[in-house]
Formats: sequence, structure tokens, C-alpha cells
Amino acid sequence: MGLAGTIYQTLFRRSSTAAITIVIGAYATERIIDEGSTLLWKNYNKGKLWDDIKHKYEK
Amino acid sequence: MIKAISRGGQFGAFSKATAQAIPPPSASVLVPATLPPSSKPLVEIDRALLTSDSLGKAVSSINNFGVISGPGVTTQVRFAHTDVKVPDFTAYRRDSTKSPTSDNDKSLGSRAAFSYLFTAGSLAGAIYGGKGIVHAFVTSMSASADVLAVSTIEVKLSAIPEGQCVTFKWRGKPLFIRHRTQEEISRERAVPLSDLRDPQEDEVRVQKPEWLVVLGVCTHLGCVPIANAGDFGGYYCPCHGSHYDASGRIRKGPAPLNLEVPKYAFTDPDTVLVG
Repeated sequence: MGLAGTIYQTLFRRSSTAAITIVIGAYATERIIDEGSTLLWKNYNKGKLWDDIKHKYEK
Repeated sequence: MIKAISRGGQFGAFSKATAQAIPPPSASVLVPATLPPSSKPLVEIDRALLTSDSLGKAVSSINNFGVISGPGVTTQVRFAHTDVKVPDFTAYRRDSTKSPTSDNDKSLGSRAAFSYLFTAGSLAGAIYGGKGIVHAFVTSMSASADVLAVSTIEVKLSAIPEGQCVTFKWRGKPLFIRHRTQEEISRERAVPLSDLRDPQEDEVRVQKPEWLVVLGVCTHLGCVPIANAGDFGGYYCPCHGSHYDASGRIRKGPAPLNLEVPKYAFTDPDTVLVG
């Protein structure tokens, strides 16, 4: 049956589990996109951020 | 007659092409349209034998072969449109179901998983987008950073001499901070609750007995009382003559309530943080 078949049988066969999967998937999507884009942005702006120069101004 | 002509099953294409064709009932032509027995489709397409149509077309090339009637064939009536081609949707079908011998139950899981995963992915993206819109509207209702920045003040208490009351501006309102003398403290603590219009112990109105922190807004109609004035040695409102004592409690005049005590905390012995 393969991986796709297993996913269908366990997650999408019933509407209740499908709905739960979608909600959890939406949360996972949010975390991945938000954290991933922040990480990308911080990496791109490395050296210019407050976290990088904080030690010069804070005791 | 109709039955004999049209019962062809999957060999219908052959039987129809060689037999008499019947005009549509609405046609007023009395002479039935006939096709020459040797008529061929206009365009011959070489295609895989996957559907009943393509199988039937392949069989029709065998001479003198045809099924006219039988228990398993349909009674479908086709009129003169023998040049209509049955469309071949092979290009649109999933690979796992293209073969006539494939067991479609076996590939159901993977086919359904593709469809449902596509739907679920779209829904998850839509929920994420919707959450972003709702978040933008909800956060627009919260206080902005500049408002939050002026919502608290810090006061150095050593600058206020004993027996004096100093006024500060806090959230657009006057704030009284009074350095009370020992005499004032003992006087306010001795007042019986039965003498008060808005009964409140002095202990619950101050955190440290020497420091009284109250809003300088008269509870009658919102005037600013004058410090160290009035009959009770506390505050006096010049508008309508309300007298407050050195704990900010109403003692005489029209005001109904004691002066309001804001939320404050002593961050160190010399500093008070209001707000």
C-alpha cells in the first residue's frame, strides 16, 4: 500500500481525523513559515541586529 | 427492427456502421438516411485498446463479424451521427488506472491520499492566512508602544520633604505624592471608621505609612484639590468645598468617595513606580 496509502487510511479516511490533521497542519505551517523566515532574515542581516551589538551598550 | 439493428454492445460501432441508420424522430425527411456499407471513419486514429470504443473499432476491421442481438447487449439507439467519436480521456487518467486489467482497489490509498493531501494543504494555508488577517485586526486594538511608554512614572522620593505634597502628571491626571509626618500618620490611624463616609482603614490606603500616593482628582466633579488645606489637614477642593484628610479620605462636603489610590510599587527604598 505504500506511504501514501497509509497516510490516507490513518489520517484522511475519517472526517474527524482529517479535521484534526488540518488544524495541526495549519499550526505546523505557521511555525515553519514564521520561524523559518525570521531565521532567514536574521541570517541575512547578521551583524546589524541589536542582539549582535548589544554587548557594546549593555553592562 | 430497432432492436436488431442497434443491439451491438461493444461491437456496436461495427454493427451500426454496416446496418441501416435511422434518422432522428424530429426530422421531417421521409427517406431514411443510409450510409454506404463500406463507409469508414473520416480519420483513423491508431490508439491503444483500452476502452470499449477503441476495442470495438479494432474488431470492426475483421470482415463478416458482428453481433446483432443477445442477452448481454444494450438496446441503445443511435441515430445518424455515426461520425461522432467517443472521446479518449486516457491522457487525463491516473497511471495506475489506465490499464483495463489494473486492480483499482489496490491503488485507492495512494490516489485518495493525493487528493486529500492537496485539499488539506490548501486548507492549512488558508487557515494560516486567515489567522494573519485576524491577528492584524486584533493587535490594532492594543495600546501602541508610545502609549505604553508614558503609562508609568518613576519618582525619586528623597526630593519630597516631610510634610509636603508634590503633584506629578501621570496619564494626563494630577498625581499627589505626600510625605506624611509621624503626627499625621498617628492622627489618621486613630480615626474611627464610623466617622467616615467611605469607610476605609488608613493601612489599606498606603503601602508605607510615610508615603501617600493618590490621584488628585476630586471624586465629586473632578476638580483638582489643594494640598495642605481644609479642616482635616489633608486636601481641600475649591470647587464645591470637599474636605479630605491626610489619608485622602472624604470627611466633609459633597464628594462621595475617597481619593483614588493608583497601582504603585516601591522599586527601591528611594523610588516609587506608579502605573
